[in-house]
Amino acid sequence: MMRLDHGIERGRRIQIILDGERVDVFEGETLAAAMIEQSSAFRRDSNGMARGMFCNMGTCGECTVTLLPGGQRVRACLVPAQVGMDVTRD
Amino acid sequence: MGGGLIGCATAWRLAREGAKVTVLDSGDFGMGASGQNAGSLHFQLERRFLENGDALAEQATRTAALNRLAISDWSSLEADLATNLHITMNGGLMVAETAEECALLELKIARENAEGLRTRMIDGHEARQIAPYLSEAICAAGYSPDEGHADARLVTHAIAIAADKTGALLRPRCRVQSIRRVCREYVVRTAAEQFAASQILIACGAWTAHVAAMLNLHVPLFPVGLLMNATERVAQVVPHLVQHVGRRLSMKQTHSGNLLIGGGWPSRMALDAEGRFTLYRPPAVIEASLRGNLRVAIDVAPMVATINLVRSWTGITAISADQLPIVGEIPAMPGCWVAGGGSAFTLGPTFARLIAQSMSGTKCEELEIVAPSRFAHLNSFMGQ
Repeated sequence: MMRLDHGIERGRRIQIILDGERVDVFEGETLAAAMIEQSSAFRRDSNGMARGMFCNMGTCGECTVTLLPGGQRVRACLVPAQVGMDVTRD
Repeated sequence: MGGGLIGCATAWRLAREGAKVTVLDSGDFGMGASGQNAGSLHFQLERRFLENGDALAEQATRTAALNRLAISDWSSLEADLATNLHITMNGGLMVAETAEECALLELKIARENAEGLRTRMIDGHEARQIAPYLSEAICAAGYSPDEGHADARLVTHAIAIAADKTGALLRPRCRVQSIRRVCREYVVRTAAEQFAASQILIACGAWTAHVAAMLNLHVPLFPVGLLMNATERVAQVVPHLVQHVGRRLSMKQTHSGNLLIGGGWPSRMALDAEGRFTLYRPPAVIEASLRGNLRVAIDVAPMVATINLVRSWTGITAISADQLPIVGEIPAMPGCWVAGGGSAFTLGPTFARLIAQSMSGTKCEELEIVAPSRFAHLNSFMGQ
Protein backbone atom coordinates (compact mmCIF):
# COMPACT_ATOMS: atom_id res chain seq x y z
CA MET A 1 0.00 0.00 0.00
CA MET A 2 1.46 3.37 -1.04
CA ARG A 3 1.13 6.41 1.22
CA LEU A 4 0.96 10.00 0.11
CA ASP A 5 4.06 11.72 1.45
CA HIS A 6 3.83 15.30 0.17
CA GLY A 7 1.59 18.02 1.46
CA ILE A 8 0.33 15.85 4.31
CA GLU A 9 0.62 16.54 8.02
CA ARG A 10 0.73 13.46 10.20
CA GLY A 11 1.29 12.58 13.83
CA ARG A 12 4.70 11.36 14.93
CA ARG A 13 5.88 7.84 14.28
CA ILE A 14 4.91 5.57 17.16
CA GLN A 15 4.72 1.83 17.67
CA ILE A 16 1.71 -0.35 18.33
CA ILE A 17 1.48 -4.12 18.60
CA LEU A 18 -0.43 -5.79 15.79
CA ASP A 19 -1.01 -9.54 16.13
CA GLY A 20 1.90 -9.73 18.58
CA GLU A 21 4.41 -7.82 16.42
CA ARG A 22 5.66 -4.25 16.85
CA VAL A 23 4.78 -2.09 13.87
CA ASP A 24 5.49 1.56 13.10
CA VAL A 25 2.41 3.71 12.58
CA PHE A 26 1.55 7.40 12.70
CA GLU A 27 -0.02 8.59 15.92
CA GLY A 28 -3.67 9.49 15.39
CA GLU A 29 -4.21 7.69 12.11
CA THR A 30 -6.87 5.01 12.33
CA LEU A 31 -5.95 1.47 13.24
CA ALA A 32 -7.40 0.46 9.88
CA ALA A 33 -4.95 2.76 8.06
CA ALA A 34 -2.10 1.25 10.07
CA MET A 35 -3.32 -2.28 9.32
CA ILE A 36 -3.75 -1.69 5.61
CA GLU A 37 -0.13 -0.51 5.41
CA GLN A 38 0.90 -3.95 6.68
CA SER A 39 -1.43 -5.93 4.45
CA SER A 40 -4.64 -5.27 2.56
CA ALA A 41 -5.88 -8.68 3.73
CA PHE A 42 -7.35 -8.26 7.21
CA ARG A 43 -8.56 -11.83 7.58
CA ARG A 44 -9.51 -15.02 5.75
CA ASP A 45 -13.17 -15.95 5.40
CA SER A 46 -14.56 -19.43 6.07
CA ASN A 47 -13.58 -20.46 2.53
CA GLY A 48 -10.00 -19.27 3.04
CA MET A 49 -10.44 -16.21 0.84
CA ALA A 50 -8.79 -12.93 1.83
CA ARG A 51 -11.04 -10.13 3.04
CA GLY A 52 -10.00 -6.56 3.60
CA MET A 53 -11.30 -3.06 4.10
CA PHE A 54 -14.81 -2.43 2.84
CA CYS A 55 -16.63 0.73 3.93
CA ASN A 56 -13.99 2.58 6.02
CA MET A 57 -16.75 4.53 7.76
CA GLY A 58 -17.93 2.35 10.62
CA THR A 59 -20.88 0.76 8.88
CA CYS A 60 -19.88 -2.69 7.66
CA GLY A 61 -17.95 -4.13 10.61
CA GLU A 62 -15.43 -5.87 8.32
CA CYS A 63 -12.45 -4.31 10.14
CA THR A 64 -13.47 -5.30 13.67
CA VAL A 65 -10.43 -6.06 15.86
CA THR A 66 -9.81 -6.91 19.52
CA LEU A 67 -7.95 -4.52 21.82
CA LEU A 68 -5.79 -6.23 24.46
CA PRO A 69 -5.65 -6.64 27.35
CA GLY A 70 -9.28 -5.55 27.85
CA GLY A 71 -10.66 -7.56 24.95
CA GLN A 72 -12.91 -4.77 23.61
CA ARG A 73 -14.11 -5.35 20.06
CA VAL A 74 -13.79 -2.15 18.04
CA ARG A 75 -14.01 -1.08 14.42
CA ALA A 76 -10.44 -0.34 13.37
CA CYS A 77 -11.60 2.34 10.93
CA LEU A 78 -12.97 4.46 13.80
CA VAL A 79 -10.19 4.16 16.39
CA PRO A 80 -7.06 6.34 16.31
CA ALA A 81 -3.70 4.62 16.88
CA GLN A 82 -2.06 5.50 20.18
CA VAL A 83 1.28 4.58 21.72
CA GLY A 84 1.38 1.05 23.11
CA MET A 85 -1.92 -0.22 21.72
CA ASP A 86 -2.12 -3.99 21.45
CA VAL A 87 -4.39 -5.05 18.58
CA THR A 88 -5.40 -8.52 17.48
CA ARG A 89 -7.08 -9.32 14.21
CA ASP A 90 -9.25 -12.47 13.86
CA MET B 1 -44.32 -16.58 -11.31
CA GLY B 2 -41.98 -15.73 -8.46
CA GLY B 3 -38.31 -16.73 -8.47
CA GLY B 4 -38.14 -17.42 -4.76
CA LEU B 5 -37.47 -20.70 -3.02
CA ILE B 6 -40.86 -22.21 -3.87
CA GLY B 7 -40.92 -21.03 -7.49
CA CYS B 8 -37.39 -22.19 -8.28
CA ALA B 9 -37.75 -25.50 -6.44
CA THR B 10 -41.06 -26.28 -8.15
CA ALA B 11 -39.49 -25.52 -11.54
CA TRP B 12 -36.51 -27.71 -10.69
CA ARG B 13 -38.76 -30.64 -9.70
CA LEU B 14 -41.00 -30.26 -12.76
CA ALA B 15 -38.11 -29.85 -15.19
CA ARG B 16 -36.47 -32.97 -13.79
CA GLU B 17 -39.65 -34.85 -14.69
CA GLY B 18 -39.44 -33.52 -18.23
CA ALA B 19 -41.96 -30.68 -18.03
CA LYS B 20 -41.37 -27.48 -19.96
CA VAL B 21 -41.10 -24.77 -17.30
CA THR B 22 -40.45 -21.02 -17.25
CA VAL B 23 -39.84 -19.00 -14.06
CA LEU B 24 -40.55 -15.27 -14.15
CA ASP B 25 -39.56 -12.75 -11.49
CA SER B 26 -39.99 -8.99 -11.55
CA GLY B 27 -36.59 -8.65 -9.83
CA ASP B 28 -33.69 -10.99 -9.24
CA PHE B 29 -34.22 -14.51 -7.95
CA GLY B 30 -34.27 -15.12 -4.22
CA MET B 31 -34.32 -11.42 -3.33
CA GLY B 32 -37.70 -11.39 -1.58
CA ALA B 33 -38.57 -13.22 1.62
CA SER B 34 -36.63 -16.30 0.42
CA GLY B 35 -33.38 -14.37 0.70
CA GLN B 36 -34.32 -11.90 3.43
CA ASN B 37 -35.28 -14.40 6.12
CA ALA B 38 -32.78 -15.62 8.69
CA GLY B 39 -32.79 -19.27 7.58
CA SER B 40 -34.48 -21.07 10.49
CA LEU B 41 -35.43 -24.70 9.97
CA HIS B 42 -38.10 -24.94 12.66
CA PHE B 43 -40.13 -28.09 13.08
CA GLN B 44 -41.76 -27.43 16.45
CA LEU B 45 -45.19 -25.86 16.45
CA GLU B 46 -44.61 -22.12 16.12
CA ARG B 47 -45.17 -19.78 19.03
CA ARG B 48 -47.48 -17.62 16.89
CA PHE B 49 -49.87 -20.57 16.64
CA LEU B 50 -50.02 -20.94 20.42
CA GLU B 51 -50.91 -17.39 21.43
CA ASN B 52 -54.28 -17.16 19.70
CA GLY B 53 -56.36 -19.85 21.33
CA ASP B 54 -56.89 -23.60 21.09
CA ALA B 55 -58.70 -23.64 17.75
CA LEU B 56 -55.71 -22.22 15.87
CA ALA B 57 -53.25 -24.42 17.79
CA GLU B 58 -55.35 -27.47 16.88
CA GLN B 59 -55.46 -26.47 13.23
CA ALA B 60 -51.74 -25.70 13.11
CA THR B 61 -50.95 -29.05 14.71
CA ARG B 62 -52.38 -30.68 11.62
CA THR B 63 -49.55 -29.16 9.58
CA ALA B 64 -47.15 -31.43 11.52
CA ALA B 65 -47.21 -33.92 8.64
CA LEU B 66 -45.68 -31.20 6.46
CA ASN B 67 -42.98 -30.60 9.08
CA ARG B 68 -42.10 -34.31 9.02
CA LEU B 69 -41.73 -34.17 5.23
CA ALA B 70 -39.68 -30.97 5.51
CA ILE B 71 -37.22 -32.69 7.85
CA SER B 72 -36.58 -35.29 5.22
CA ASP B 73 -36.50 -32.79 2.32
CA TRP B 74 -33.90 -30.59 4.05
CA SER B 75 -31.87 -33.65 5.04
CA SER B 76 -31.39 -34.60 1.40
CA LEU B 77 -31.27 -31.17 -0.26
CA GLU B 78 -27.49 -30.68 -0.26
CA ALA B 79 -26.93 -34.16 -1.69
CA ASP B 80 -29.67 -33.61 -4.32
CA LEU B 81 -28.06 -30.33 -5.39
CA ALA B 82 -24.47 -31.49 -4.85
CA THR B 83 -23.62 -28.22 -3.14
CA ASN B 84 -22.97 -26.83 0.34
CA LEU B 85 -25.84 -24.69 1.62
CA HIS B 86 -24.59 -24.55 5.21
CA ILE B 87 -27.52 -26.66 6.30
CA THR B 88 -27.07 -27.76 9.89
CA MET B 89 -29.64 -29.84 11.72
CA ASN B 90 -28.02 -30.15 15.15
CA GLY B 91 -31.30 -29.79 17.02
CA GLY B 92 -33.38 -26.92 18.31
CA LEU B 93 -34.60 -25.78 21.70
CA MET B 94 -37.80 -23.86 22.34
CA VAL B 95 -37.25 -22.51 25.83
CA ALA B 96 -39.57 -21.51 28.68
CA GLU B 97 -38.87 -19.17 31.61
CA THR B 98 -42.10 -19.26 33.63
CA ALA B 99 -44.46 -21.90 35.00
CA GLU B 100 -47.13 -20.79 32.50
CA GLU B 101 -44.69 -21.17 29.64
CA CYS B 102 -43.71 -24.64 30.87
CA ALA B 103 -47.37 -25.64 30.87
CA LEU B 104 -47.77 -24.27 27.33
CA LEU B 105 -44.70 -26.21 26.26
CA GLU B 106 -46.10 -29.46 27.69
CA LEU B 107 -49.37 -29.03 25.78
CA LYS B 108 -47.48 -28.17 22.61
CA ILE B 109 -45.22 -31.20 22.85
CA ALA B 110 -48.16 -33.52 23.55
CA ARG B 111 -49.77 -32.22 20.34
CA GLU B 112 -46.55 -32.71 18.36
CA ASN B 113 -45.92 -36.21 19.66
CA ALA B 114 -49.49 -37.19 18.77
CA GLU B 115 -48.69 -36.11 15.20
CA GLY B 116 -45.45 -38.11 15.11
CA LEU B 117 -42.89 -35.33 15.66
CA ARG B 118 -39.91 -36.33 17.81
CA THR B 119 -40.00 -33.30 20.14
CA ARG B 120 -39.38 -33.97 23.83
CA MET B 121 -39.70 -31.94 27.01
CA ILE B 122 -36.46 -31.40 28.89
CA ASP B 123 -35.88 -29.53 32.15
CA GLY B 124 -33.61 -26.52 32.56
CA HIS B 125 -30.70 -28.63 33.75
CA GLU B 126 -30.80 -30.90 30.71
CA ALA B 127 -31.30 -27.89 28.44
CA ARG B 128 -28.08 -26.35 29.81
CA GLN B 129 -26.26 -29.65 29.37
CA ILE B 130 -27.21 -29.65 25.70
CA ALA B 131 -26.82 -25.87 25.36
CA PRO B 132 -24.45 -24.50 28.02
CA TYR B 133 -24.98 -20.94 26.77
CA LEU B 134 -28.57 -20.91 28.12
CA SER B 135 -29.43 -18.78 31.15
CA GLU B 136 -30.17 -20.22 34.60
CA ALA B 137 -33.62 -18.66 34.15
CA ILE B 138 -34.57 -21.27 31.56
CA CYS B 139 -36.75 -23.80 33.40
CA ALA B 140 -37.63 -26.10 30.51
CA ALA B 141 -37.33 -26.53 26.76
CA GLY B 142 -38.90 -28.41 23.92
CA TYR B 143 -36.07 -30.23 22.20
CA SER B 144 -36.35 -31.22 18.56
CA PRO B 145 -33.36 -33.23 17.33
CA ASP B 146 -33.95 -32.22 13.70
CA GLU B 147 -34.17 -28.44 13.88
CA GLY B 148 -31.40 -26.21 12.61
CA HIS B 149 -30.77 -23.63 9.94
CA ALA B 150 -29.55 -23.04 6.41
CA ASP B 151 -28.00 -20.09 4.63
CA ALA B 152 -30.97 -18.33 3.02
CA ARG B 153 -28.57 -16.38 0.76
CA LEU B 154 -27.38 -19.63 -0.84
CA VAL B 155 -30.42 -21.90 -1.00
CA THR B 156 -32.64 -20.26 -3.63
CA HIS B 157 -29.65 -19.39 -5.80
CA ALA B 158 -28.45 -23.02 -5.75
CA ILE B 159 -31.91 -24.33 -6.59
CA ALA B 160 -32.26 -21.80 -9.43
CA ILE B 161 -28.97 -23.04 -10.88
CA ALA B 162 -30.21 -26.63 -10.61
CA ALA B 163 -33.48 -25.67 -12.32
CA ASP B 164 -31.53 -23.99 -15.11
CA LYS B 165 -29.32 -27.07 -15.58
CA THR B 166 -32.36 -29.34 -15.83
CA GLY B 167 -33.74 -27.20 -18.62
CA ALA B 168 -36.09 -24.75 -16.92
CA LEU B 169 -36.12 -21.29 -18.52
CA LEU B 170 -35.28 -18.64 -15.93
CA ARG B 171 -36.39 -15.06 -16.55
CA PRO B 172 -35.27 -12.61 -13.86
CA ARG B 173 -36.26 -8.94 -14.20
CA CYS B 174 -39.33 -9.80 -16.25
CA ARG B 175 -42.35 -8.26 -14.61
CA VAL B 176 -45.63 -9.95 -15.44
CA GLN B 177 -47.92 -7.38 -17.03
CA SER B 178 -51.00 -9.46 -17.65
CA ILE B 179 -52.37 -12.97 -17.31
CA ARG B 180 -55.27 -14.10 -19.43
CA ARG B 181 -57.06 -17.39 -19.45
CA VAL B 182 -57.73 -18.42 -23.04
CA CYS B 183 -59.64 -21.70 -23.44
CA ARG B 184 -57.61 -24.13 -21.33
CA GLU B 185 -54.42 -22.13 -21.39
CA TYR B 186 -52.95 -19.24 -19.49
CA VAL B 187 -51.24 -16.52 -21.49
CA VAL B 188 -48.72 -14.59 -19.42
CA ARG B 189 -47.22 -11.42 -20.85
CA THR B 190 -44.13 -9.52 -19.85
CA ALA B 191 -42.87 -6.36 -21.56
CA ALA B 192 -40.91 -8.33 -24.16
CA GLU B 193 -42.38 -11.83 -24.25
CA GLN B 194 -45.52 -13.89 -24.09
CA PHE B 195 -45.81 -17.37 -22.61
CA ALA B 196 -48.61 -19.91 -22.91
CA ALA B 197 -48.95 -22.54 -20.20
CA SER B 198 -51.44 -25.23 -19.30
CA GLN B 199 -50.69 -24.57 -15.63
CA ILE B 200 -49.31 -21.60 -13.72
CA LEU B 201 -48.01 -21.16 -10.16
CA ILE B 202 -48.18 -17.83 -8.35
CA ALA B 203 -45.49 -17.97 -5.65
CA CYS B 204 -44.70 -14.28 -5.32
CA GLY B 205 -44.67 -13.95 -1.54
CA ALA B 206 -46.09 -10.60 -0.47
CA TRP B 207 -46.77 -9.77 -4.15
CA THR B 208 -49.02 -12.82 -4.57
CA ALA B 209 -52.26 -10.89 -4.08
CA HIS B 210 -51.20 -8.31 -6.73
CA VAL B 211 -50.40 -11.03 -9.28
CA ALA B 212 -53.60 -12.96 -8.53
CA ALA B 213 -55.52 -9.73 -9.13
CA MET B 214 -54.48 -9.98 -12.80
CA LEU B 215 -56.79 -13.00 -12.95
CA ASN B 216 -59.53 -11.21 -11.03
CA LEU B 217 -58.87 -13.38 -7.99
CA HIS B 218 -58.46 -12.76 -4.28
CA VAL B 219 -55.67 -14.51 -2.41
CA PRO B 220 -55.81 -13.41 1.24
CA LEU B 221 -52.08 -12.96 1.81
CA PHE B 222 -51.01 -9.82 3.62
CA PRO B 223 -47.53 -8.27 3.73
CA VAL B 224 -45.77 -8.28 7.08
CA GLY B 225 -42.55 -6.38 7.81
CA LEU B 226 -40.12 -8.15 10.12
CA LEU B 227 -36.80 -7.36 11.78
CA MET B 228 -33.65 -9.47 11.86
CA ASN B 229 -30.27 -8.76 13.42
CA ALA B 230 -26.73 -9.99 12.92
CA THR B 231 -23.92 -9.80 15.45
CA GLU B 232 -20.24 -9.77 14.70
CA ARG B 233 -18.53 -13.11 14.08
CA VAL B 234 -17.57 -14.99 17.22
CA ALA B 235 -16.22 -18.49 17.93
CA GLN B 236 -18.84 -21.21 17.41
CA VAL B 237 -20.95 -21.33 20.56
CA VAL B 238 -24.60 -21.84 19.47
CA PRO B 239 -24.88 -24.97 17.32
CA HIS B 240 -28.70 -25.08 17.72
CA LEU B 241 -31.77 -23.19 16.65
CA VAL B 242 -33.02 -21.41 19.78
CA GLN B 243 -36.62 -20.25 20.08
CA HIS B 244 -38.86 -19.19 22.97
CA VAL B 245 -42.35 -20.53 23.63
CA GLY B 246 -43.65 -17.32 25.23
CA ARG B 247 -41.53 -14.52 23.74
CA ARG B 248 -40.45 -13.66 20.22
CA LEU B 249 -37.05 -15.15 19.55
CA SER B 250 -35.19 -17.14 16.96
CA MET B 251 -31.43 -17.35 17.29
CA LYS B 252 -28.76 -19.29 15.48
CA GLN B 253 -25.11 -18.99 14.57
CA THR B 254 -24.04 -18.93 10.95
CA HIS B 255 -21.21 -20.88 9.40
CA SER B 256 -19.17 -17.65 9.50
CA GLY B 257 -19.84 -17.17 13.21
CA ASN B 258 -22.42 -14.36 13.24
CA LEU B 259 -25.40 -14.78 15.54
CA LEU B 260 -28.65 -14.11 13.68
CA ILE B 261 -31.38 -12.89 16.02
CA GLY B 262 -35.01 -12.44 15.05
CA GLY B 263 -38.26 -14.15 15.90
CA GLY B 264 -41.14 -12.13 14.54
CA TRP B 265 -40.52 -8.60 15.80
CA PRO B 266 -42.31 -6.05 13.61
CA SER B 267 -40.72 -3.41 11.40
CA ARG B 268 -42.68 -0.50 9.96
CA MET B 269 -43.81 -0.93 6.37
CA ALA B 270 -43.42 2.03 4.03
CA LEU B 271 -46.48 3.72 2.53
CA ASP B 272 -46.98 4.88 -1.05
CA ALA B 273 -48.32 8.28 -2.15
CA GLU B 274 -51.90 7.11 -1.56
CA GLY B 275 -51.10 5.96 1.96
CA ARG B 276 -51.19 2.24 1.16
CA PHE B 277 -48.53 -0.24 2.18
CA THR B 278 -45.84 -0.47 -0.47
CA LEU B 279 -43.65 -3.48 -1.17
CA TYR B 280 -41.16 -1.44 -3.15
CA ARG B 281 -39.29 0.10 -0.23
CA PRO B 282 -37.88 -1.79 2.74
CA PRO B 283 -39.67 -1.41 6.07
CA ALA B 284 -38.04 0.78 8.72
CA VAL B 285 -36.54 -0.56 11.93
CA ILE B 286 -38.75 0.04 14.97
CA GLU B 287 -36.44 0.83 17.85
CA ALA B 288 -38.68 -0.86 20.43
CA SER B 289 -38.57 -4.05 18.34
CA LEU B 290 -34.80 -3.95 18.18
CA ARG B 291 -34.50 -3.42 21.93
CA GLY B 292 -37.13 -6.06 22.69
CA ASN B 293 -35.57 -8.62 20.38
CA LEU B 294 -32.09 -8.22 21.86
CA ARG B 295 -33.52 -8.23 25.40
CA VAL B 296 -35.07 -11.69 24.86
CA ALA B 297 -31.84 -12.96 23.28
CA ILE B 298 -29.80 -11.77 26.28
CA ASP B 299 -32.33 -13.14 28.79
CA VAL B 300 -32.12 -16.54 27.09
CA ALA B 301 -28.36 -16.56 26.40
CA PRO B 302 -26.54 -13.99 28.59
CA MET B 303 -23.32 -14.17 26.53
CA VAL B 304 -25.16 -12.30 23.75
CA ALA B 305 -24.68 -9.14 25.86
CA THR B 306 -20.93 -9.34 25.27
CA ILE B 307 -21.19 -9.47 21.48
CA ASN B 308 -21.52 -6.46 19.18
CA LEU B 309 -24.52 -6.01 16.94
CA VAL B 310 -23.26 -5.24 13.43
CA ARG B 311 -26.42 -5.10 11.41
CA SER B 312 -30.22 -5.00 11.60
CA TRP B 313 -32.24 -5.59 8.47
CA THR B 314 -35.91 -5.69 7.62
CA GLY B 315 -37.75 -7.88 5.17
CA ILE B 316 -41.30 -8.44 4.00
CA THR B 317 -43.02 -11.78 4.22
CA ALA B 318 -46.68 -12.66 3.73
CA ILE B 319 -49.17 -13.96 6.25
CA SER B 320 -52.55 -15.47 5.39
CA ALA B 321 -55.92 -14.51 6.82
CA ASP B 322 -55.90 -17.58 9.11
CA GLN B 323 -52.08 -17.79 9.62
CA LEU B 324 -51.71 -21.14 7.82
CA PRO B 325 -49.94 -21.18 4.45
CA ILE B 326 -52.03 -21.16 1.27
CA VAL B 327 -50.77 -23.84 -1.09
CA GLY B 328 -52.63 -25.54 -3.90
CA GLU B 329 -54.88 -25.11 -6.90
CA ILE B 330 -57.44 -22.29 -6.80
CA PRO B 331 -60.89 -23.92 -7.11
CA ALA B 332 -62.32 -21.03 -9.18
CA MET B 333 -59.41 -21.23 -11.62
CA PRO B 334 -58.36 -24.77 -12.60
CA GLY B 335 -54.69 -24.92 -13.53
CA CYS B 336 -53.83 -21.87 -11.44
CA TRP B 337 -51.79 -22.76 -8.37
CA VAL B 338 -50.71 -20.58 -5.51
CA ALA B 339 -48.16 -21.04 -2.73
CA GLY B 340 -47.15 -18.75 0.10
CA GLY B 341 -48.07 -17.40 3.48
CA GLY B 342 -45.67 -18.15 6.26
CA SER B 343 -43.08 -20.77 7.24
CA ALA B 344 -42.22 -20.92 3.57
CA PHE B 345 -38.47 -21.18 4.07
CA THR B 346 -38.72 -24.24 6.34
CA LEU B 347 -41.59 -25.71 4.32
CA GLY B 348 -40.55 -24.33 0.91
CA PRO B 349 -38.76 -27.36 -0.52
CA THR B 350 -41.66 -29.56 0.62
CA PHE B 351 -44.35 -27.28 -0.81
CA ALA B 352 -42.42 -27.22 -4.08
CA ARG B 353 -42.08 -31.00 -4.28
CA LEU B 354 -45.76 -31.55 -3.48
CA ILE B 355 -46.95 -28.85 -5.91
CA ALA B 356 -44.81 -30.35 -8.69
CA GLN B 357 -46.25 -33.76 -7.91
CA SER B 358 -49.81 -32.39 -7.85
CA MET B 359 -49.33 -30.44 -11.09
CA SER B 360 -48.14 -33.66 -12.68
CA GLY B 361 -51.44 -35.28 -11.73
CA THR B 362 -50.74 -37.12 -8.45
CA LYS B 363 -52.94 -35.70 -5.71
CA CYS B 364 -51.16 -34.90 -2.42
CA GLU B 365 -53.22 -35.38 0.72
CA GLU B 366 -50.56 -33.57 2.75
CA LEU B 367 -51.52 -30.28 1.06
CA GLU B 368 -55.23 -30.51 1.99
CA ILE B 369 -54.73 -28.68 5.31
CA VAL B 370 -53.24 -25.70 3.47
CA ALA B 371 -55.46 -25.79 0.36
CA PRO B 372 -56.76 -22.46 -1.02
CA SER B 373 -60.27 -23.99 -1.07
CA ARG B 374 -60.80 -22.83 2.53
CA PHE B 375 -60.94 -19.30 1.11
CA ALA B 376 -63.08 -20.25 -1.93
CA HIS B 377 -65.89 -17.98 -0.66
CA LEU B 378 -63.67 -14.93 -1.32
CA ASN B 379 -63.71 -15.79 -5.01
CA SER B 380 -67.44 -16.60 -5.26
CA PHE B 381 -67.95 -13.43 -7.26
CA MET B 382 -64.50 -13.31 -8.82
CA GLY B 383 -62.55 -15.11 -11.53
CA GLN B 384 -63.79 -15.19 -15.08
